[in-house]
Amino acid sequence: MSRPPPPPPPPPPTTNKDQQRQNPSLQEINIKLIQSGEKERLKELLRERLLECGWIDEMKALCRAFTRKKGRNNVTVDDLVHVISPKGRASIPDSVKAKLLQRIRAFLASTAD
Amino acid sequence: MSGPNEDNNTQLSSHIFGDLLDSIIVDVASECHRIAKLGLDRNLEEEEEEMRLSAQARARVADPSNSSETNTKYVVDIFGQTHPSVATEIFECMNCGRSIAAGRFAPHLEKCMGKGRKARLKVTRSSTAAQNRYLRGSPVSTYSPYSNSTSTNRLSNGTPSVAGEEYSNGTYEEPWNKT
Repeated sequence: MSRPPPPPPPPPPTTNKDQQRQNPSLQEINIKLIQSGEKERLKELLRERLLECGWIDEMKALCRAFTRKKGRNNVTVDDLVHVISPKGRASIPDSVKAKLLQRIRAFLASTAD
Repeated sequence: MSGPNEDNNTQLSSHIFGDLLDSIIVDVASECHRIAKLGLDRNLEEEEEEMRLSAQARARVADPSNSSETNTKYVVDIFGQTHPSVATEIFECMNCGRSIAAGRFAPHLEKCMGKGRKARLKVTRSSTAAQNRYLRGSPVSTYSPYSNSTSTNRLSNGTPSVAGEEYSNGTYEEPWNKT
């Protein structure tokens, strides 16, 4: 059946007119990120930086140590994620984080136009 | 005006960064999981093996009931070789000219050259040679790295007879200092 596509939902009412277009939801941003390919590029950039600074090797070492203790056959992906997450998030080098945040903010600024 | 917007942006950015990071963490975890399950990380098992073997070796060393003599005959080193507890290669003592086993060389030299009363009475080469050695005892041993190159240089140039004593001291001192 041919139906005209539904109109986009009206922006939520805001007190300040300037904020109407400049306060998109996270979901919209995510869609834009993915569709433009920027998300993939950002992820690759992050992965590259983390590899260079040895963060990934540290995480792999943690996994190996855990696997050795728990036994190769008893390990689940979930286990490993829980092993890595807290330490991993804490040990991100500041320079890497700053660089990524900068790029993300630049993207947000460019899409806000 | 743009204050709250910037805060929002900062919050969004952090959130997006967190997403990216989580995604990478999951990637790394699943890769390690795969390696673990497929047994691709051979180091994992080798390390277990090595840890077991080193624990065993440590237990054996710490075990006081093992006498060192009998044990060294059967213990295998990291290259898989066994060595007799007393080194068996035979050398000629440069002092007295006798054939001595390498493992017995140091005690032999003690008697032959140095500390013993009987050794002091022995005159093997010449009295001056023995005197020089005793007088220059410790300094010569510290010279040994240098005397190595200098004495060989001099020897290759042809040794004048006058300095023959020195060279012979040099050559006599350095080999056993090196060992």
